[in-house]
Amino acid sequence: MREADIKQAVRQFISSAVRLPDLGDDDNLFESGIVNSLFAVQLMTFVEKTFGIEVEADDLDIENFKSLNATTHFVVRKNGHGAG
Amino acid sequence: MIPRDAHDLSRPDYAEFKSFVALNVEPFAETWDREQAIPRAVIDKMAKAGYLGCTLPVEYGGQGRDVVTFGLLNEAFGRAFAALTGVLTVQAMVSMALAKWGTAEQRRRWLPALAKGEKIAAFAITEPGAGSALKSLATQFTQKAEGQPLVLNGSKKWISCAQFADLFLVFGMLGQRSVACLVPRDAPGLRIEPIDELMGFRGAGLAQLHFQDVEVPAANLVGKPGFALSHVAPVGLHYGRISTACSALGLLRGCFEESIAYAATRKIGDRSVGDLGMIRSLIARMGTNLEAATHLCHNACRAQDDRLPEVFEKTLMAKYFTSKAAVSAASDAVQIMGAAGCHGSSPVSRYYRDAKIMEIIEGTSQIHEDLLGKIFVAQAGERAE
Repeated sequence: MREADIKQAVRQFISSAVRLPDLGDDDNLFESGIVNSLFAVQLMTFVEKTFGIEVEADDLDIENFKSLNATTHFVVRKNGHGAG
Repeated sequence: MIPRDAHDLSRPDYAEFKSFVALNVEPFAETWDREQAIPRAVIDKMAKAGYLGCTLPVEYGGQGRDVVTFGLLNEAFGRAFAALTGVLTVQAMVSMALAKWGTAEQRRRWLPALAKGEKIAAFAITEPGAGSALKSLATQFTQKAEGQPLVLNGSKKWISCAQFADLFLVFGMLGQRSVACLVPRDAPGLRIEPIDELMGFRGAGLAQLHFQDVEVPAANLVGKPGFALSHVAPVGLHYGRISTACSALGLLRGCFEESIAYAATRKIGDRSVGDLGMIRSLIARMGTNLEAATHLCHNACRAQDDRLPEVFEKTLMAKYFTSKAAVSAASDAVQIMGAAGCHGSSPVSRYYRDAKIMEIIEGTSQIHEDLLGKIFVAQAGERAE
Protein backbone atom coordinates (compact mmCIF):
# COMPACT_ATOMS: atom_id res chain seq x y z
CA MET A 1 0.00 0.00 0.00
CA ARG A 2 1.31 3.45 -0.89
CA GLU A 3 2.15 5.86 1.91
CA ALA A 4 -0.57 8.23 0.71
CA ASP A 5 -3.14 5.43 0.95
CA ILE A 6 -1.93 4.49 4.42
CA LYS A 7 -2.21 8.10 5.50
CA GLN A 8 -5.71 8.40 4.12
CA ALA A 9 -6.82 5.24 5.92
CA VAL A 10 -5.29 6.42 9.19
CA ARG A 11 -6.89 9.84 8.79
CA GLN A 12 -10.26 8.24 8.22
CA PHE A 13 -9.92 6.11 11.32
CA ILE A 14 -8.79 8.98 13.54
CA SER A 15 -11.65 11.12 12.26
CA SER A 16 -14.11 8.37 13.16
CA ALA A 17 -12.78 8.16 16.68
CA VAL A 18 -11.94 11.75 17.53
CA ARG A 19 -14.10 14.82 17.16
CA LEU A 20 -11.53 17.08 15.56
CA PRO A 21 -12.86 18.81 12.44
CA ASP A 22 -9.53 20.16 11.20
CA LEU A 23 -7.05 17.41 11.93
CA GLY A 24 -3.54 18.58 11.12
CA ASP A 25 -0.99 16.04 9.95
CA ASP A 26 1.20 16.70 12.99
CA ASP A 27 -1.42 17.57 15.60
CA ASN A 28 -0.58 15.74 18.80
CA LEU A 29 -3.57 13.55 19.49
CA PHE A 30 -2.65 12.68 23.03
CA GLU A 31 -1.82 16.17 24.21
CA SER A 32 -5.02 17.57 22.78
CA GLY A 33 -7.14 15.99 25.51
CA ILE A 34 -9.75 15.02 22.97
CA VAL A 35 -9.10 11.30 22.78
CA ASN A 36 -10.85 8.87 25.09
CA SER A 37 -8.93 6.52 27.35
CA LEU A 38 -9.29 3.66 24.90
CA PHE A 39 -8.08 5.55 21.86
CA ALA A 40 -4.49 4.30 22.12
CA VAL A 41 -5.53 0.66 21.93
CA GLN A 42 -8.21 1.41 19.36
CA LEU A 43 -5.56 2.97 17.13
CA MET A 44 -3.22 0.06 17.76
CA THR A 45 -5.91 -2.48 16.87
CA PHE A 46 -6.77 -0.51 13.76
CA VAL A 47 -3.23 -0.47 12.39
CA GLU A 48 -2.74 -4.13 13.24
CA LYS A 49 -5.91 -5.20 11.48
CA THR A 50 -5.75 -2.84 8.53
CA PHE A 51 -2.08 -3.14 7.67
CA GLY A 52 -1.38 -6.68 8.88
CA ILE A 53 1.29 -5.72 11.38
CA GLU A 54 1.83 -6.56 15.02
CA VAL A 55 2.44 -3.73 17.47
CA GLU A 56 4.91 -5.09 20.02
CA ALA A 57 6.26 -3.85 23.32
CA ASP A 58 9.33 -2.42 21.61
CA ASP A 59 7.03 -0.27 19.47
CA LEU A 60 5.59 1.46 22.53
CA ASP A 61 6.87 4.92 21.86
CA ILE A 62 4.66 7.98 21.77
CA GLU A 63 6.62 9.14 18.74
CA ASN A 64 5.09 6.25 16.80
CA PHE A 65 1.47 7.19 17.41
CA LYS A 66 1.27 10.81 18.51
CA SER A 67 -0.13 12.18 15.24
CA LEU A 68 -1.46 11.28 11.84
CA ASN A 69 1.97 11.61 10.30
CA ALA A 70 3.68 9.69 13.10
CA THR A 71 1.29 6.77 12.81
CA THR A 72 1.58 6.71 9.03
CA HIS A 73 5.37 6.68 9.19
CA PHE A 74 5.27 3.93 11.82
CA VAL A 75 3.14 1.74 9.57
CA VAL A 76 5.42 2.40 6.61
CA ARG A 77 8.51 1.49 8.66
CA LYS A 78 6.85 -1.57 10.12
CA ASN A 79 5.80 -2.76 6.70
CA GLY A 80 9.36 -2.41 5.56
CA HIS A 81 8.74 -0.05 2.68
CA GLY A 82 8.23 3.62 2.15
CA ALA A 83 7.13 3.91 -1.40
CA GLY A 84 4.70 6.59 -2.14
CA MET B 1 -39.64 -20.43 24.53
CA ILE B 2 -36.13 -19.88 25.83
CA PRO B 3 -34.30 -17.56 23.45
CA ARG B 4 -31.79 -19.66 21.62
CA ASP B 5 -29.89 -17.87 18.99
CA ALA B 6 -28.65 -20.06 16.21
CA HIS B 7 -25.05 -19.16 16.67
CA ASP B 8 -23.36 -20.55 19.72
CA LEU B 9 -25.49 -22.30 22.28
CA SER B 10 -25.60 -25.52 20.31
CA ARG B 11 -21.84 -25.75 20.11
CA PRO B 12 -20.39 -28.88 21.70
CA ASP B 13 -17.97 -26.92 23.85
CA TYR B 14 -20.88 -25.04 25.45
CA ALA B 15 -22.46 -28.41 26.32
CA GLU B 16 -19.11 -29.46 27.78
CA PHE B 17 -18.92 -26.31 29.91
CA LYS B 18 -22.48 -26.79 31.13
CA SER B 19 -21.75 -30.40 32.05
CA PHE B 20 -18.68 -29.31 33.96
CA VAL B 21 -20.54 -26.74 36.04
CA ALA B 22 -23.51 -29.08 36.58
CA LEU B 23 -21.16 -31.64 38.09
CA ASN B 24 -18.52 -29.51 39.79
CA VAL B 25 -20.06 -26.14 40.56
CA GLU B 26 -23.85 -25.91 40.82
CA PRO B 27 -24.29 -28.43 43.65
CA PHE B 28 -21.82 -26.51 45.80
CA ALA B 29 -22.50 -22.90 44.88
CA GLU B 30 -24.75 -22.16 47.83
CA THR B 31 -22.17 -23.53 50.28
CA TRP B 32 -19.27 -21.66 48.71
CA ASP B 33 -21.32 -18.48 48.73
CA ARG B 34 -22.21 -18.91 52.39
CA GLU B 35 -18.65 -19.83 53.40
CA GLN B 36 -17.15 -17.12 51.17
CA ALA B 37 -14.55 -19.50 49.83
CA ILE B 38 -13.89 -21.44 46.65
CA PRO B 39 -12.00 -24.69 47.22
CA ARG B 40 -8.70 -24.90 45.41
CA ALA B 41 -9.81 -28.34 44.21
CA VAL B 42 -12.41 -26.88 41.85
CA ILE B 43 -9.93 -24.35 40.49
CA ASP B 44 -7.55 -27.26 39.89
CA LYS B 45 -10.30 -29.07 38.00
CA MET B 46 -10.90 -25.97 35.88
CA ALA B 47 -7.18 -25.84 35.19
CA LYS B 48 -7.06 -29.52 34.27
CA ALA B 49 -9.91 -28.96 31.81
CA GLY B 50 -7.84 -26.18 30.23
CA TYR B 51 -10.25 -23.41 31.17
CA LEU B 52 -7.65 -21.15 32.77
CA GLY B 53 -5.70 -20.97 29.54
CA CYS B 54 -8.72 -20.95 27.25
CA THR B 55 -7.59 -18.20 24.88
CA LEU B 56 -3.84 -18.42 25.41
CA PRO B 57 -1.88 -19.65 22.40
CA VAL B 58 -1.10 -23.35 22.25
CA GLU B 59 2.62 -22.58 22.13
CA TYR B 60 2.35 -21.39 25.74
CA GLY B 61 0.32 -24.35 26.91
CA GLY B 62 -3.05 -22.67 26.36
CA GLN B 63 -6.04 -24.03 24.50
CA GLY B 64 -5.85 -21.46 21.73
CA ARG B 65 -9.63 -21.28 21.60
CA ASP B 66 -11.44 -18.35 20.08
CA VAL B 67 -12.99 -15.61 22.17
CA VAL B 68 -16.52 -16.75 21.31
CA THR B 69 -15.67 -19.98 23.11
CA PHE B 70 -14.20 -18.02 26.01
CA GLY B 71 -17.50 -16.14 26.19
CA LEU B 72 -19.47 -19.36 26.31
CA LEU B 73 -17.20 -20.62 29.07
CA ASN B 74 -17.88 -17.53 31.13
CA GLU B 75 -21.58 -17.73 30.41
CA ALA B 76 -21.77 -21.30 31.67
CA PHE B 77 -19.92 -20.41 34.87
CA GLY B 78 -21.91 -17.20 35.31
CA ARG B 79 -25.11 -19.24 35.23
CA ALA B 80 -23.77 -21.49 37.99
CA PHE B 81 -21.69 -19.32 40.32
CA ALA B 82 -20.58 -15.87 39.27
CA ALA B 83 -17.86 -15.62 41.89
CA LEU B 84 -16.00 -18.45 40.21
CA THR B 85 -15.95 -16.54 36.94
CA GLY B 86 -13.78 -14.10 38.86
CA VAL B 87 -10.98 -16.63 38.49
CA LEU B 88 -11.56 -16.91 34.74
CA THR B 89 -11.75 -13.13 34.49
CA VAL B 90 -8.55 -12.16 36.23
CA GLN B 91 -6.56 -15.08 34.88
CA ALA B 92 -7.47 -13.91 31.38
CA MET B 93 -6.81 -10.25 32.22
CA VAL B 94 -3.26 -10.94 33.34
CA SER B 95 -2.51 -13.69 30.83
CA MET B 96 -3.69 -11.77 27.78
CA ALA B 97 -1.99 -8.54 28.85
CA LEU B 98 1.21 -10.53 29.31
CA ALA B 99 0.75 -12.36 26.00
CA LYS B 100 0.43 -9.00 24.24
CA TRP B 101 3.01 -6.90 26.02
CA GLY B 102 5.33 -9.30 27.82
CA THR B 103 8.88 -9.91 26.67
CA ALA B 104 9.72 -13.27 25.13
CA GLU B 105 11.33 -14.27 28.41
CA GLN B 106 8.29 -13.18 30.45
CA ARG B 107 5.95 -15.08 28.17
CA ARG B 108 8.11 -18.19 28.30
CA ARG B 109 8.45 -18.01 32.06
CA TRP B 110 4.91 -17.17 33.15
CA LEU B 111 2.34 -18.07 30.50
CA PRO B 112 2.64 -21.88 30.62
CA ALA B 113 2.18 -21.81 34.40
CA LEU B 114 -0.84 -19.51 34.05
CA ALA B 115 -2.33 -21.63 31.26
CA LYS B 116 -2.05 -24.78 33.35
CA GLY B 117 -3.30 -23.12 36.52
CA GLU B 118 -0.03 -23.77 38.32
CA LYS B 119 -0.10 -20.05 38.98
CA ILE B 120 -3.26 -18.07 39.67
CA ALA B 121 -3.00 -14.41 38.79
CA ALA B 122 -4.62 -11.22 40.01
CA PHE B 123 -4.90 -7.82 38.35
CA ALA B 124 -3.87 -5.24 40.94
CA ILE B 125 -4.92 -1.83 39.68
CA THR B 126 -7.65 -0.49 41.98
CA GLU B 127 -6.54 1.46 45.03
CA PRO B 128 -8.31 2.79 48.11
CA GLY B 129 -8.26 6.23 46.47
CA ALA B 130 -8.31 5.27 42.80
CA GLY B 131 -11.00 3.10 41.29
CA SER B 132 -12.27 4.36 37.99
CA ALA B 133 -9.89 7.34 38.13
CA LEU B 134 -6.84 5.34 37.17
CA LYS B 135 -4.72 8.41 36.53
CA SER B 136 -4.81 9.02 40.27
CA LEU B 137 -2.75 5.93 41.12
CA ALA B 138 -0.72 6.50 44.27
CA THR B 139 1.24 3.26 44.22
CA GLN B 140 4.85 4.22 43.68
CA PHE B 141 7.73 2.39 42.09
CA THR B 142 11.23 3.76 42.48
CA GLN B 143 14.39 2.70 40.69
CA LYS B 144 17.92 3.91 41.25
CA ALA B 145 18.92 3.39 37.64
CA GLU B 146 17.55 1.72 34.54
CA GLY B 147 17.97 -2.03 34.80
CA GLN B 148 18.22 -1.90 38.58
CA PRO B 149 15.53 -3.56 40.75
CA LEU B 150 12.38 -1.56 41.44
CA VAL B 151 11.11 -0.81 44.91
CA LEU B 152 7.35 -0.80 45.36
CA ASN B 153 5.32 1.02 48.01
CA GLY B 154 1.59 1.54 48.31
CA SER B 155 -1.63 -0.41 48.56
CA LYS B 156 -4.27 -1.93 46.34
CA LYS B 157 -7.86 -2.67 47.31
CA TRP B 158 -10.78 -4.80 46.08
CA ILE B 159 -8.42 -7.11 44.19
CA SER B 160 -10.29 -10.21 43.02
CA CYS B 161 -8.64 -13.57 43.73
CA ALA B 162 -5.88 -11.89 45.73
CA GLN B 163 -6.55 -14.14 48.72
CA PHE B 164 -5.22 -17.11 46.78
CA ALA B 165 -3.36 -15.65 43.79
CA ASP B 166 0.27 -16.57 43.25
CA LEU B 167 1.15 -13.66 40.99
CA PHE B 168 0.03 -10.04 40.79
CA LEU B 169 0.18 -7.66 37.87
CA VAL B 170 0.61 -4.42 39.81
CA PHE B 171 0.04 -0.97 38.31
CA GLY B 172 1.63 2.15 39.69
CA MET B 173 3.77 5.15 38.90
CA LEU B 174 7.51 5.31 38.28
CA GLY B 175 7.98 9.03 38.62
CA GLN B 176 5.54 10.51 36.12
CA ARG B 177 5.32 7.32 34.08
CA SER B 178 2.77 4.56 34.65
CA VAL B 179 4.20 1.07 34.92
CA ALA B 180 2.93 -2.48 35.23
CA CYS B 181 5.02 -5.03 37.09
CA LEU B 182 4.71 -8.70 37.96
CA VAL B 183 5.01 -9.29 41.69
CA PRO B 184 5.02 -12.82 43.13
CA ARG B 185 2.94 -13.54 46.21
CA ASP B 186 5.98 -14.45 48.26
CA ALA B 187 7.79 -11.16 47.62
CA PRO B 188 9.15 -9.90 50.96
CA GLY B 189 7.24 -6.80 52.09
CA LEU B 190 3.92 -7.82 50.52
CA ARG B 191 1.09 -8.27 53.03
CA ILE B 192 -2.29 -9.58 51.91
CA GLU B 193 -5.34 -8.61 53.93
CA PRO B 194 -8.53 -10.54 53.03
CA ILE B 195 -11.74 -8.59 52.39
CA ASP B 196 -14.79 -10.61 53.39
CA GLU B 197 -18.50 -9.92 53.90
CA LEU B 198 -19.14 -8.61 50.41
CA MET B 199 -22.78 -8.61 49.37
CA GLY B 200 -21.97 -10.54 46.21
CA PHE B 201 -19.13 -12.43 44.55
CA ARG B 202 -18.62 -14.02 47.92
CA GLY B 203 -15.84 -16.52 47.38
CA ALA B 204 -14.01 -14.45 44.79
CA GLY B 205 -11.21 -14.03 47.32
CA LEU B 206 -10.94 -10.26 47.36
CA ALA B 207 -8.13 -8.70 49.34
CA GLN B 208 -6.20 -5.56 50.01
CA LEU B 209 -2.52 -5.62 49.16
CA HIS B 210 0.03 -3.68 51.16
CA PHE B 211 3.44 -3.17 49.61
CA GLN B 212 6.21 -1.96 51.83
CA ASP B 213 9.61 -1.63 50.15
CA VAL B 214 8.89 -4.64 47.96
CA GLU B 215 11.84 -5.22 45.66
CA VAL B 216 11.13 -6.61 42.21
CA PRO B 217 13.54 -7.21 39.33
CA ALA B 218 13.40 -4.75 36.44
CA ALA B 219 12.82 -7.81 34.25
CA ASN B 220 9.33 -8.02 35.77
CA LEU B 221 8.18 -4.77 34.12
CA VAL B 222 5.49 -5.48 31.53
CA GLY B 223 5.58 -3.08 28.60
CA LYS B 224 7.62 0.08 28.57
CA PRO B 225 7.35 2.62 31.40
CA GLY B 226 4.79 5.25 30.46
CA PHE B 227 2.44 2.84 28.68
CA ALA B 228 0.91 0.83 31.51
CA LEU B 229 -2.32 2.82 31.65
CA SER B 230 -2.64 3.56 27.95
CA HIS B 231 -1.78 0.11 26.57
CA VAL B 232 -1.19 -2.64 29.15
CA ALA B 233 -4.18 -2.06 31.43
CA PRO B 234 -6.70 -1.59 28.58
CA VAL B 235 -5.83 -5.00 27.12
CA GLY B 236 -6.41 -6.65 30.49
CA LEU B 237 -9.53 -4.65 31.26
CA HIS B 238 -10.88 -5.44 27.82
CA TYR B 239 -10.72 -9.17 28.49
CA GLY B 240 -12.15 -8.47 31.94
CA ARG B 241 -15.14 -6.77 30.33
CA ILE B 242 -15.66 -9.62 27.87
CA SER B 243 -15.53 -12.10 30.72
CA THR B 244 -17.84 -10.08 32.96
CA ALA B 245 -20.33 -9.39 30.17
CA CYS B 246 -20.61 -13.07 29.34
CA SER B 247 -20.75 -14.06 32.98
CA ALA B 248 -23.59 -11.57 33.45
CA LEU B 249 -25.25 -13.13 30.43
CA GLY B 250 -25.12 -16.50 32.17
CA LEU B 251 -26.61 -14.99 35.29
CA LEU B 252 -29.33 -13.34 33.22
CA ARG B 253 -30.07 -16.66 31.54
CA GLY B 254 -30.28 -18.26 34.97
CA CYS B 255 -32.79 -15.66 36.12
CA PHE B 256 -34.89 -16.26 33.04
CA GLU B 257 -34.84 -20.04 33.27
CA GLU B 258 -35.61 -20.07 36.99
CA SER B 259 -38.42 -17.56 36.49
CA ILE B 260 -40.19 -19.35 33.66
CA ALA B 261 -39.88 -22.69 35.41
CA TYR B 262 -41.43 -21.21 38.54
CA ALA B 263 -44.09 -19.34 36.61
CA ALA B 264 -45.13 -22.48 34.79
CA THR B 265 -45.38 -24.73 37.80
CA ARG B 266 -46.28 -22.61 40.83
CA LYS B 267 -50.03 -22.61 41.39
CA ILE B 268 -52.14 -19.84 42.83
CA GLY B 269 -55.56 -21.40 43.24
CA ASP B 270 -56.31 -23.05 39.93
CA ARG B 271 -53.97 -20.84 37.96
CA SER B 272 -50.21 -20.79 37.55
CA VAL B 273 -48.09 -17.75 38.36
CA GLY B 274 -47.38 -17.47 34.66
CA ASP B 275 -51.06 -16.83 33.97
CA LEU B 276 -50.79 -13.47 35.69
CA GLY B 277 -50.31 -10.59 33.30
CA MET B 278 -47.98 -8.70 35.62
CA ILE B 279 -45.67 -11.70 35.82
CA ARG B 280 -45.75 -12.12 32.09
CA SER B 281 -44.63 -8.53 31.72
CA LEU B 282 -41.61 -9.18 33.91
CA ILE B 283 -40.75 -12.33 32.01
CA ALA B 284 -41.24 -10.63 28.64
CA ARG B 285 -38.76 -7.92 29.58
CA MET B 286 -36.31 -10.47 30.94
CA GLY B 287 -36.50 -12.71 27.87
CA THR B 288 -36.12 -9.81 25.47
CA ASN B 289 -33.15 -8.44 27.36
CA LEU B 290 -31.64 -11.93 27.33
CA GLU B 291 -31.96 -12.12 23.57
CA ALA B 292 -30.47 -8.64 23.10
CA ALA B 293 -27.63 -9.34 25.53
CA THR B 294 -26.87 -12.62 23.80
CA HIS B 295 -26.34 -10.77 20.54
CA LEU B 296 -24.29 -7.99 22.10
CA CYS B 297 -21.99 -10.45 23.88
CA HIS B 298 -21.62 -12.61 20.82
CA ASN B 299 -20.84 -9.60 18.64
CA ALA B 300 -18.19 -8.40 21.09
CA CYS B 301 -16.53 -11.81 21.22
CA ARG B 302 -16.66 -12.19 17.45
CA ALA B 303 -15.20 -8.71 16.97
CA GLN B 304 -12.28 -9.71 19.17
CA ASP B 305 -11.76 -12.89 17.18
CA ASP B 306 -11.80 -10.80 14.01
CA ARG B 307 -9.56 -8.17 15.67
CA LEU B 308 -11.85 -5.37 14.60
CA PRO B 309 -10.96 -1.87 15.83
CA GLU B 310 -14.54 -1.39 17.02
CA VAL B 311 -14.19 -4.31 19.42
CA PHE B 312 -13.68 -1.97 22.36
CA GLU B 313 -16.97 -0.14 21.95
CA LYS B 314 -18.79 -3.38 21.22
CA THR B 315 -17.40 -4.84 24.44
CA LEU B 316 -18.31 -1.72 26.41
CA MET B 317 -21.86 -1.98 25.11
CA ALA B 318 -22.07 -5.69 25.88
CA LYS B 319 -20.81 -5.28 29.43
CA TYR B 320 -22.90 -2.18 30.09
CA PHE B 321 -26.15 -3.57 28.75
CA THR B 322 -25.80 -7.11 30.05
CA SER B 323 -24.77 -6.20 33.59
CA LYS B 324 -27.66 -3.74 33.88
CA ALA B 325 -30.07 -6.28 32.40
CA ALA B 326 -28.78 -8.87 34.87
CA VAL B 327 -29.47 -6.54 37.79
CA SER B 328 -32.99 -5.92 36.54
CA ALA B 329 -33.62 -9.61 35.81
CA ALA B 330 -32.35 -10.72 39.20
CA SER B 331 -34.63 -8.26 40.93
CA ASP B 332 -37.59 -9.42 38.84
CA ALA B 333 -36.74 -13.08 39.37
CA VAL B 334 -36.84 -12.61 43.13
CA GLN B 335 -40.12 -10.74 42.74
CA ILE B 336 -41.64 -13.53 40.68
CA MET B 337 -40.59 -16.21 43.15
CA GLY B 338 -41.62 -14.21 46.18
CA ALA B 339 -40.46 -15.56 49.53
CA ALA B 340 -38.91 -18.61 47.88
CA GLY B 341 -36.64 -16.30 45.90
CA CYS B 342 -35.50 -14.54 49.04
CA HIS B 343 -34.07 -17.66 50.63
CA GLY B 344 -30.44 -18.70 50.29
CA SER B 345 -31.48 -22.07 48.92
CA SER B 346 -32.71 -20.38 45.74
CA PRO B 347 -30.07 -19.37 43.20
CA VAL B 348 -32.00 -16.20 42.39
CA SER B 349 -31.24 -14.77 45.83
CA ARG B 350 -27.55 -15.17 45.01
CA TYR B 351 -28.10 -13.82 41.50
CA TYR B 352 -29.65 -10.73 43.08
CA ARG B 353 -26.51 -10.04 45.12
CA ASP B 354 -23.99 -11.06 42.46
CA ALA B 355 -25.62 -9.10 39.63
CA LYS B 356 -25.00 -5.77 41.29
CA ILE B 357 -21.27 -6.50 41.51
CA MET B 358 -21.19 -7.01 37.74
CA GLU B 359 -22.41 -3.48 37.23
CA ILE B 360 -19.40 -2.20 39.15
CA ILE B 361 -16.38 -4.36 38.29
CA GLU B 362 -14.20 -3.67 35.23
CA GLY B 363 -15.65 -0.16 35.08
CA THR B 364 -18.95 1.00 36.53
CA SER B 365 -21.99 1.54 34.36
CA GLN B 366 -21.40 5.27 34.69
CA ILE B 367 -17.85 4.96 33.36
CA HIS B 368 -19.22 2.93 30.46
CA GLU B 369 -21.80 5.61 29.77
CA ASP B 370 -19.13 8.30 29.80
CA LEU B 371 -16.88 6.40 27.41
CA LEU B 372 -19.64 5.26 25.08
CA GLY B 373 -21.14 8.74 25.05
CA LYS B 374 -17.79 10.19 23.95
CA ILE B 375 -17.40 7.54 21.26
CA PHE B 376 -20.89 8.05 19.86
CA VAL B 377 -20.63 11.85 19.88
CA ALA B 378 -17.30 11.64 18.03
CA GLN B 379 -18.94 9.42 15.42
CA ALA B 380 -21.81 11.86 15.07
CA GLY B 381 -19.30 14.67 14.60
CA GLU B 382 -17.67 12.74 11.80
CA ARG B 383 -20.99 12.27 10.03
CA ALA B 384 -21.80 15.96 10.39
CA GLU B 385 -18.63 17.02 8.56
